[in-house]
Amino acid sequence: MTERLLIVYTALAALATAVLFAALCVAKLRARRRSGRDAVLRSKYLRILMLYLLSGEGPVPRFPLIRRAGARRLLAETVAGLTGVTCGLDVAPLRRVVAEYGLDRWLLGCIRRTSGCRRARGLMLLARLPLDGAVAARAARYARSRNRRVRFQVLMVQLSADPSMALRLMAEYPAPFSACEVGEILILLRRGMLPIAYGPLVESPCRNLRVVGLSIVRQFGIEEAERHLLRIVDGDEAPELGREALYTLCALRRPLTRRHVGRRLTAMSPAERKALMRYMAAEGYSPGLLRRLFDARERTYCESLVQSYKRSLA
Amino acid sequence: MHRILIVSEEEFLCDVIRLSLADMRADVRCASGLAAMERLSRRMLFDLVIVVGTSLFFSGRDVVRMLRPPGLRRPLVYVVAWQQAEQSVLSLLECGVDQYLTFPVSLQRLRAKVANELSRQL
Repeated sequence: MTERLLIVYTALAALATAVLFAALCVAKLRARRRSGRDAVLRSKYLRILMLYLLSGEGPVPRFPLIRRAGARRLLAETVAGLTGVTCGLDVAPLRRVVAEYGLDRWLLGCIRRTSGCRRARGLMLLARLPLDGAVAARAARYARSRNRRVRFQVLMVQLSADPSMALRLMAEYPAPFSACEVGEILILLRRGMLPIAYGPLVESPCRNLRVVGLSIVRQFGIEEAERHLLRIVDGDEAPELGREALYTLCALRRPLTRRHVGRRLTAMSPAERKALMRYMAAEGYSPGLLRRLFDARERTYCESLVQSYKRSLA
Repeated sequence: MHRILIVSEEEFLCDVIRLSLADMRADVRCASGLAAMERLSRRMLFDLVIVVGTSLFFSGRDVVRMLRPPGLRRPLVYVVAWQQAEQSVLSLLECGVDQYLTFPVSLQRLRAKVANELSRQL
């Protein structure tokens, strides 16, 4: 009897394993087939979209299989992908496509049903679509979300819907921007969507605006901003801002043998000074200057750093 | 007819650039990586190669020499990438790259540059 039970148990276990394995294989095959179909459909959508953009007029094109599950997301991803990597596109045809297929409303529905990272991703897609103020107002309800990514993507939605309010929106953002967040804002700026001059940003008392202003100066190499940078380096504001301004001066390769810089350097911790030294070596500052800025204990490290720094990788 | 090669590991970016050059009376081919690019460039001489991203140049191979037969100034090599650091751009230009454009790129501008360059080669 025991033997028979053991045989039945083993057979059942083998059968269950086989069923599970088969289900796994089927799921994998379905996922692969679906991803292949999605790739083909995405490519078709991109082609239709690009042809429509090149023609610039006429009725909104028909996208095949748009009623299929997941097809609208593919279309939204295609529009968002295209606007994410290009600048100077004619927004009117894209706006017509978004309105005709209700992509913004549909995405808002998806965002409502999801949470966490998925909600942030939905908002990120939404921020890249050509939007109107009503959609941004509906997305604003997530501005008090516990998830930092969600809160920031709401800001991005608001910025792309109404760029004229950019200064106020960024100043009112409650958390300090991280480096990645500043990078995302700068991409929006490089797409020509934010009409922002660096002056008011760097002069602003708001930390977030100043950080964005410093990043603009650094990215576009605005040497005229040196006076503002030295003032921030010398100022008694948050040490983080002074440090950022110092890095920006280095990125612009401005002379650093100034009183302001010396004062800031003495206020920095040894670890921060070491990090700055590495950055200066990478930016091509001479060992002579580094020797003048740093004390005797740090000189050895600084000289070895300059001699061993491998700059030309490409 | 001109021959253009687009090298991109990302199919989407490759498609965007290919479609933006769609009505240019050129034979546009796509390669997904270094091996495909090498294979295609051995088979035919291109007038212009557009490389998307800079990762190819960090592979340890001399990409421009691989594309350009010795003694020829063709094909022209354009790079479109996200990097903005002056050092990276200078390094690429020193490697023999002819043009460097950053993302987000204006498709009209890219098209105009390519059209100008190809008409100059005629």
